[in-house]
Amino acid sequence: MSSSLIPSESLARVGEVLAGPVTVPIDRREAQRYAYAVGDENPLYFDEKAAHAAGYRTITVPPLFITHALVLPKPANTLREDGLYEDTTSVQLEVSRMMFGGEEWDFIEPVCVGDEITATTRLADLDQKEGSKGPFVRLVRETTFVNQDEQVVARSRQIGIAR
Amino acid sequence: MNKYPTVGSTKVGDDLPVMRKSANEAELFLYSAASFNPHRIHYDRAYAHFEGHEDTVVHGPLQGSWLTQFVTDWAGPNARLLSVEWQNRASAFVDEEVQFSGTVIALDAAEGVVELEIVEQRSDGTTLMPAKAWVRLEDH
Repeated sequence: MSSSLIPSESLARVGEVLAGPVTVPIDRREAQRYAYAVGDENPLYFDEKAAHAAGYRTITVPPLFITHALVLPKPANTLREDGLYEDTTSVQLEVSRMMFGGEEWDFIEPVCVGDEITATTRLADLDQKEGSKGPFVRLVRETTFVNQDEQVVARSRQIGIAR
Repeated sequence: MNKYPTVGSTKVGDDLPVMRKSANEAELFLYSAASFNPHRIHYDRAYAHFEGHEDTVVHGPLQGSWLTQFVTDWAGPNARLLSVEWQNRASAFVDEEVQFSGTVIALDAAEGVVELEIVEQRSDGTTLMPAKAWVRLEDH
């Protein structure tokens, strides 16, 4: 077994809230910009009649849009050289590289334009594994999205791989 | 005949219609703007090279949204996407055509739910993103 890539202070943070709760209204224009940007011109995102016919209260939004709706505006002078913002929620690890490993989503209730969504992100899991290229850390950030009626509308688990 | 899959019309082993996608520089820029993502590897080719990438990198979540579109276009407006999961194995690059293909691997007729196995690949067959999705079909 190789030495630990996870400092004990970081391991102690499993379960901790990393970001939020933050509440954001689901805006029609932002959601439609997102839909056009991904090339998904589903009438459910643009046409109220189509949305009603399919059983929605009003027009709905691309499923993964809610992640981006919850990105808060930040000043450009906090950008790093790589273009990313300083991440105040990062978990300290003895690694040189963090990569996106994938995502898992559950969609529980519809999200429509005009909803107010509150998101809270927790450090759900942090563990070290042995891979073919040596040890790596699997970090799972779980976000719960709740609407204005206190219904959980979605859950996402973003998996980061660090080595 | 109904345009979209129903419990009665769907069986394990059915293939979804293939979807091809690519993003040019302007489209990558538009996605960066729409998602408020300033990461330089998505618009600055020289910087992407500096970080060791072959070319300007297509955003992981953009491919995630291509994946949900692949499923919802097949399932139709009255179906409900219940869950989706994917693994990012390799990057896609600007102007590169990628292909989504998928198969029904399980069908729960009582619940009206299908499980799909999906893969996003490069034109040479390299897997970029293996994925799964669960959908409640429209007639349920």
